[in-house]
Amino acid sequence: MKFLDSHVHMVSRTTDDYQRMAASGVTAIIEPSFWQGQPRTEPGTFKDYFNTLIGFERFRASQFGIKHYCTIGLNPKEANNEKLAEAVMELLPLYICKEGVVGIGEIGFDDQTKAEEKYLRLQAQLALEADLPIQIHTPHRDKKLGTIRTMDVLEDVGIDPGKVIIDHNNEETVKLVLDRGYWAAFTIYPHTKLGNERMVEILREYGAERIIVDSAADWGISDALAVPKTAALMKERGVTLERIEQVTYKNPLAAYGQSGQISEQDWEGSEGIDPTALFEGNTLLRGGMDVATAMSQYLMIE
Amino acid sequence: MRDLLTDILQQSAPPAAFAWLRDRLGEQETQFSKRPFYYAFSGVSRHFPKHGRLEITPEQSQRLHELAPGLSLDHWDVFRLARVRLLLSLERQEKSVFLETIAALLNTADLREQAAIYSAYPLLPHQEDLVESAIDGLRSNIVDVFDSIALNNPFPAARFTDAAWNQMVLKAIFISRPLYRISGLEARRNADLAAAISYLAHERWAAGRRIPAEAWRNCVGFVSDEISADLHHLLETGEPTDREAAALVLASDGDPRLADLRGRLEGEIDAIGSGTLSWDRLGEKLEFPVTLNGSPAKA
Repeated sequence: MKFLDSHVHMVSRTTDDYQRMAASGVTAIIEPSFWQGQPRTEPGTFKDYFNTLIGFERFRASQFGIKHYCTIGLNPKEANNEKLAEAVMELLPLYICKEGVVGIGEIGFDDQTKAEEKYLRLQAQLALEADLPIQIHTPHRDKKLGTIRTMDVLEDVGIDPGKVIIDHNNEETVKLVLDRGYWAAFTIYPHTKLGNERMVEILREYGAERIIVDSAADWGISDALAVPKTAALMKERGVTLERIEQVTYKNPLAAYGQSGQISEQDWEGSEGIDPTALFEGNTLLRGGMDVATAMSQYLMIE
Repeated sequence: MRDLLTDILQQSAPPAAFAWLRDRLGEQETQFSKRPFYYAFSGVSRHFPKHGRLEITPEQSQRLHELAPGLSLDHWDVFRLARVRLLLSLERQEKSVFLETIAALLNTADLREQAAIYSAYPLLPHQEDLVESAIDGLRSNIVDVFDSIALNNPFPAARFTDAAWNQMVLKAIFISRPLYRISGLEARRNADLAAAISYLAHERWAAGRRIPAEAWRNCVGFVSDEISADLHHLLETGEPTDREAAALVLASDGDPRLADLRGRLEGEIDAIGSGTLSWDRLGEKLEFPVTLNGSPAKA
């Protein structure tokens, strides 16, 4: 079985993470452009960040046999620095048509300010012009209303919900998002977002259609193995392999595949992992690491 | 050269992709404008097959060799050729516009775009102003970017100072790149490089490691006491390719300090005589298979 983690910030992760991800069957990853933990003060640092996403990080991932893609955008937090935001908007057209750029993202709301709405709208228009999917960050605070407002703005611009992946959903937002035709992604992130036991329940209730599981692992306490671990937990709780594969691989591939920049052919010949080995916790995986044992001990992310 | 590259592209790419590029070239040649040019350069990835191979006839190979000795398209794909062809359309621009455009492209280039830009260097005008950026490109640890400058590219041999050249060759040895594919390797041999290779060999041997046998190709004509001792040591390593390298140095360097090796390398010297052993053959044999994702095996 192979996994596609469609939201992971690898610039903040170590080579240990890459090794463990590869050994756990993570075959391809999508790295959204985001805030780096503290505000940037110059447009040039955005440019170098984008260059890293299409350059060195892609190379770094390739050394572990992992295919790396990215989405490019101005994140909502930094949209509030308007002078900077204007300069970043000038940069975006240089990047969005590059190879391996599978969407505009992650964009959306944070504090739900006017400036955030302005740049969400402008970037949605850019996505429309470039015919690219959009990866949406939903706010942590006042999430439900922020999610509705995001969809309202996108629909006002004329975006097709089928080309939008709304991320960081929870039990309160999932129905709203699915009902309006969007892809609903769930970030398995300890403490602040969603634990994977809750994810299993959501899957039971809503099925697998247009549902995506990702890690959003970044510079905070997070888990680069969230996708394979959640898959393992789902298996343990009796979810079918077919359904697991849909939410951890096929759905993100279909959603971002609309960019024409990511397809299964890109990793043809890559082996994936034997799910039995992964799930039964008794086989030494590639790279000499007993990931299965480690995973069976820490399967749950709360 | 532009026509030749256009022909090769036309026979290698799907008609729709080629037509798209021809239209972009037409626009740019009628009225050059930076932003559409950047989009066309990136947009190659939206129109051409990702890893399309080039179809080159023997006549075209010959013609290419005449027009640009040392340049080989063997490791290019259609992405690279399409982008190089776009870059060649910049030669009509004023020098300042040309240099600004190249710098701006490099400034936001992804891996394959960087490789395409550096691959075009030997075919572009104002080469003296491109040297610094090529040296900067070699600082990359990304193998495909390094290779686009160092391998099958006549630009470094034509333009680099000895210091820059030597750094490039030494880095190629460090990251296990195939030296036989460096254009102008023999013409640019020098005493400093030969000495640096000897020091590197001593470091490696002290650590119980090896130095690729191809490295000694740089020492022909610059045999010192140390290098003579090193070449004698090559017979003791137990590695057949080391013996072959010693024989190849001996075959083209008449330094008297090496004369005693002749009797100990008879088999290898016969192989050189019969054409089954040469530096290029040794290089091909040693070349690390580059993995599918573009990273080399570890040195």
